[in-house]
Amino acid sequence: MKISLNKIKQYVQVPSDVSDEELIKLIGSRLVEVEEVIDLAPKYRGSYIVKVVSCDAIPETHLHLCQIDAGEKSSQFNQLDNGLIQVVCGAPNVHAGMLAVWITPGSIVPTTYGHENFRLSVRKLRGYESNGMLAGADELDFDNEHKSIAEIDSKIAKPGDELAKIFNLNDLILDVENKSLTHRPDCFGLIGFAREVAGILGVEFVEPPVFSLERFSQPLASTIKPQLNLKVEIMESQLCPRYTCAVFDLPNNTPSKYLTKEAVFLAKSGMRSIDPIVDLTNILMLETGQPLHAFDYDKLVAVGDSKTPKIIIRAAMAEEEIQLLDGKTISCIKDDILITSNNVPVALAGAMGGKNTEVDASTKRIVLESATFSLYNLRKTQMAHGIFSEAITRFTKGQPAAITNPVLVEAINRLKAEPLVVVDNWTVRDMENVVKITTQSINELLGTSYESSLIAKTLTNVGFRVKDYNETLEIIAPEWRTDIHLPEDIIEEIGRLLGYDNVPLSLPLRPFVEPEIDPMLQLKSALRTALSDNLRMHEVLTYSFVSRSLLEKAGQDPANSYEIVNSISPELQCFRQQISPSLIEKTRDNLKAGHTDFALYEVNQVASRADGLTDEGIPFTKAHLAIALVGDFYLMKANVLTLLRDLLKLDVSYAKMSPTSAKIYPYLEPGHSVDLFLGAHQIGSFGELRPSIAAQFKLSNTVSALELDLDQIVSAPETQDLGLTFSKFPAVERDLTLKVSHDLAFGRVLDSLHEFFDHQNLIYHIQPTSIYQPSLGSSTKNLSFHLDFSAPEKTLKTSEISDIMEGIKTKVSQVGAEIV
Amino acid sequence: MSELETLKNELKELNTEYTKIKTLPQEERGEFGRRMNLRKQEIMQRIKQAELAEIDASLTAIDVTAPCAPNNNIPSVKLGSKHPLMTELDRVIKIYSSMGFDVMESYQLDDEFHMFDSLNFHKGHPARDGYDTFRTAEGFIPPAHTSTMQHRALKKYRSRLEQGGQIAVVIPGRVFRNEDVDATHEHTFYQCEGVFVSENANMGQLFGVLKHFFESYYDQELKIKTQPGYFPFTEPSAELLIEKPSSLGGKGDGWLEMMGCGMIHPNVLKMAGIDSTKYHGFAWGGGIDRLVILKYGLNDIRYFESGKLDFLEKFL
Repeated sequence: MKISLNKIKQYVQVPSDVSDEELIKLIGSRLVEVEEVIDLAPKYRGSYIVKVVSCDAIPETHLHLCQIDAGEKSSQFNQLDNGLIQVVCGAPNVHAGMLAVWITPGSIVPTTYGHENFRLSVRKLRGYESNGMLAGADELDFDNEHKSIAEIDSKIAKPGDELAKIFNLNDLILDVENKSLTHRPDCFGLIGFAREVAGILGVEFVEPPVFSLERFSQPLASTIKPQLNLKVEIMESQLCPRYTCAVFDLPNNTPSKYLTKEAVFLAKSGMRSIDPIVDLTNILMLETGQPLHAFDYDKLVAVGDSKTPKIIIRAAMAEEEIQLLDGKTISCIKDDILITSNNVPVALAGAMGGKNTEVDASTKRIVLESATFSLYNLRKTQMAHGIFSEAITRFTKGQPAAITNPVLVEAINRLKAEPLVVVDNWTVRDMENVVKITTQSINELLGTSYESSLIAKTLTNVGFRVKDYNETLEIIAPEWRTDIHLPEDIIEEIGRLLGYDNVPLSLPLRPFVEPEIDPMLQLKSALRTALSDNLRMHEVLTYSFVSRSLLEKAGQDPANSYEIVNSISPELQCFRQQISPSLIEKTRDNLKAGHTDFALYEVNQVASRADGLTDEGIPFTKAHLAIALVGDFYLMKANVLTLLRDLLKLDVSYAKMSPTSAKIYPYLEPGHSVDLFLGAHQIGSFGELRPSIAAQFKLSNTVSALELDLDQIVSAPETQDLGLTFSKFPAVERDLTLKVSHDLAFGRVLDSLHEFFDHQNLIYHIQPTSIYQPSLGSSTKNLSFHLDFSAPEKTLKTSEISDIMEGIKTKVSQVGAEIV
Repeated sequence: MSELETLKNELKELNTEYTKIKTLPQEERGEFGRRMNLRKQEIMQRIKQAELAEIDASLTAIDVTAPCAPNNNIPSVKLGSKHPLMTELDRVIKIYSSMGFDVMESYQLDDEFHMFDSLNFHKGHPARDGYDTFRTAEGFIPPAHTSTMQHRALKKYRSRLEQGGQIAVVIPGRVFRNEDVDATHEHTFYQCEGVFVSENANMGQLFGVLKHFFESYYDQELKIKTQPGYFPFTEPSAELLIEKPSSLGGKGDGWLEMMGCGMIHPNVLKMAGIDSTKYHGFAWGGGIDRLVILKYGLNDIRYFESGKLDFLEKFL
């Protein structure tokens, strides 16, 4: 929202010792975030009012050769002998005797100021010297269309006057962030904004006539004797708490041929001049926050086609059609509210008027509407039809019903109109908001020590009525403050208006209690250290949302994913069920980028519809770890076992992948994968990608992946047995090579060695050293181990060592191995 | 002749000289023998040193500017990396934890009740639009702020209040907003929420706690200031700004907008079963991504979820 600081100063007496810079700072810290301050003065520097003294057509062109009088400014530019300045002008409306706006040579055309910065000069046009230009309203950034040059009323200016001075353009425009005022409909009007500024400055705010008390207490409808028959019916009161309107004759609605101060004020506020009646409604909206709408009365009656004209406010029927002022025909949703004339739609309430009742230059009589509608419905209207006008922006903040009458009265007064009939249908009245609060409770919540007199004064300055009963305040909110209900609402007013920055800082007194840290967060932290620092992998973060095609590529069923109905793109449509597919994709990208031999991991949440809902009725989200590495099963296995057994001290085991797991991890090749167990619980699986999946991902390297459910291991005890028994006696070292059938599992041989040693009273280690198979077709392979063993209490004798080696021979022969 | 050879000759000569002992009178032999032995020991010592020096001298100097010796493999040291967002989140949690805050993690799928209703957003209120939430077909919400956990945190720890204690908890998590992605906007980002409730919590304590946090985080004294904010779940509400820290090039003039904060709305306390006339609380929430962006001067937020090793390898 754009706020003119000059306009604010019209309403508030800013103390002379408060500079603009300081004032803006205060507004920024106590009312609303100021996103940008736009200084208009330099934009209009070099624009002057001039008189076109002569104006001659240049033959065979649309141009005119003009001589202008720039008053006392003339002498600073290239004057002709007669003291005038020559300018070539192409506008159709240029004529001798008019006052126009001249942009001098060397000045920037205002509409290009701050971006292209187009600077004018003295140049030749068709052989004629032209100094600067005569400007149109568009070039001055007051209008969007290039129609003609701006003409100035000689009643308000004379040649040589600065444009800025006449049109109040030595001004600072504050572009403020609307979001932090969502709950303050009153601040969407300049008067409301100014009232807050007064409150911040600690000065009294004198309410302008529009918000004088009698305008609230005495509705106009009760004082006007109807001369016309008009009824207003509200079908559902919650859709429209109050509908006030007046019918009056409009003497003339022809747009002025002059550039008006109203048009310039609208432009400063980011709007455009249309015609006198629309401009008035827009100006009143900017000032008060209350949008108004004008209907052509005769058209409205004709559309209703009834002898008893009646405005009916009702919910739209689904797909009911209405053509709007911008010419578009929309199909309504049932949450839209329609203003109708005897049930024929004439406006989409709060959003836009209908084409069928548009006010134009021929309009003789109007119905002026000042109403308030359900912000919830209008919000849906806004979304459904994409209408984000200044009016609906204000309506969706919840304009208070109390101000419809005061603003309507103001419009009638400014038009000097004689209302023929005024109808005021006020179905739902807001309760008077009274809050009782003690000074102590205000200070307790803020951590301040404000006096009750200061509190009362601060509130009074912004329109509250305060009764001070000895430290207990009874506070009545003004009619326009529908957001005040609780003591906290008052505390916020005090804290904010007197400045949060003035609150003394302190720290809470805390008991000495050790904080509780989510064990899952601790596990995640331990995993990250183990994976990055010890195993030298790279931590990545990938989106929780994935594409349907990624799920399908990885063999997962998209139906198990929670689907995002308003996703940004199909790439981000499904909540992921596992992390591995995302990592496989990133592995492919990094391989493509030239990286080799790396491992990526991610710790994050996943969800599957197959897991159902929690007791709270929300989806189960699970914490997972996934790893994708460039390498085969065995490289992954070494990493996973080091991670889980050695670094996390978890007593995990693994087994060949089960058919059930193969369905859960469809991207893993079952013959090259295993399931991981902690006790009896399966905690995840890892292995190489299926070749068909790798092909889908366009991977030419062997890639392996792990998917691990962290919820299963978060509370598992660490194994305490680190094997800390050492013998004082020398260990025997032996290399052992066993010849076995090519299809005998390595694990069976290793298990049998462990079984043998576990039955001896020995401290021992078995280190596999090689697996040798002469060729793929060979019927046997050689498994080599390095053994070391020692007795805890003595040095082993040669004969005892022979017995042990003999025992090994017998033991492994049971699984079909023979010592080589 | 090398030093070693000279010494060896000297030793030989000494041994020859020693044989003269037999020609000496009996009474001089003792003194002669001691002298000879001393000289012999000295030469032996020097020989040993010369031998060691010769071993070192046998090694020729290498090209220290080369990555490896000729014909050898270039050694490679592989390192892992941690994601900067997670590292920063860990650091933030550690500071709060050292201040006595419990830590719980936010959910990545939640419902309308926790995201809005429990936080005093009226049904259908336009304030909900500001959050640009994603929705699933079932109506669940990938939450747009970690405040989605406030209600749960209050319920989980409210028994502490009855036991005379306080609620002090921070909630980190991944949140989502339906926003088009560009160099400065992401639909996926990380936040950390803070919640504190006690019998005498006030706004001065809120600002005091946050100032303390940022001073610990940036390891310097910092000025703070506020600007008004609007959140339905806090009243009063404010936005907190901190002075630009010197580690980020601040010279005591610039300000950084860090987070939204305020006193917990009594309706939020009530909904969690906490007596809002007896207890007060404050809460805040801020982005983690921004801390990382500021710290490293990162010019494109999209790197975070890109999975690009070129980016990640900078964070060893």
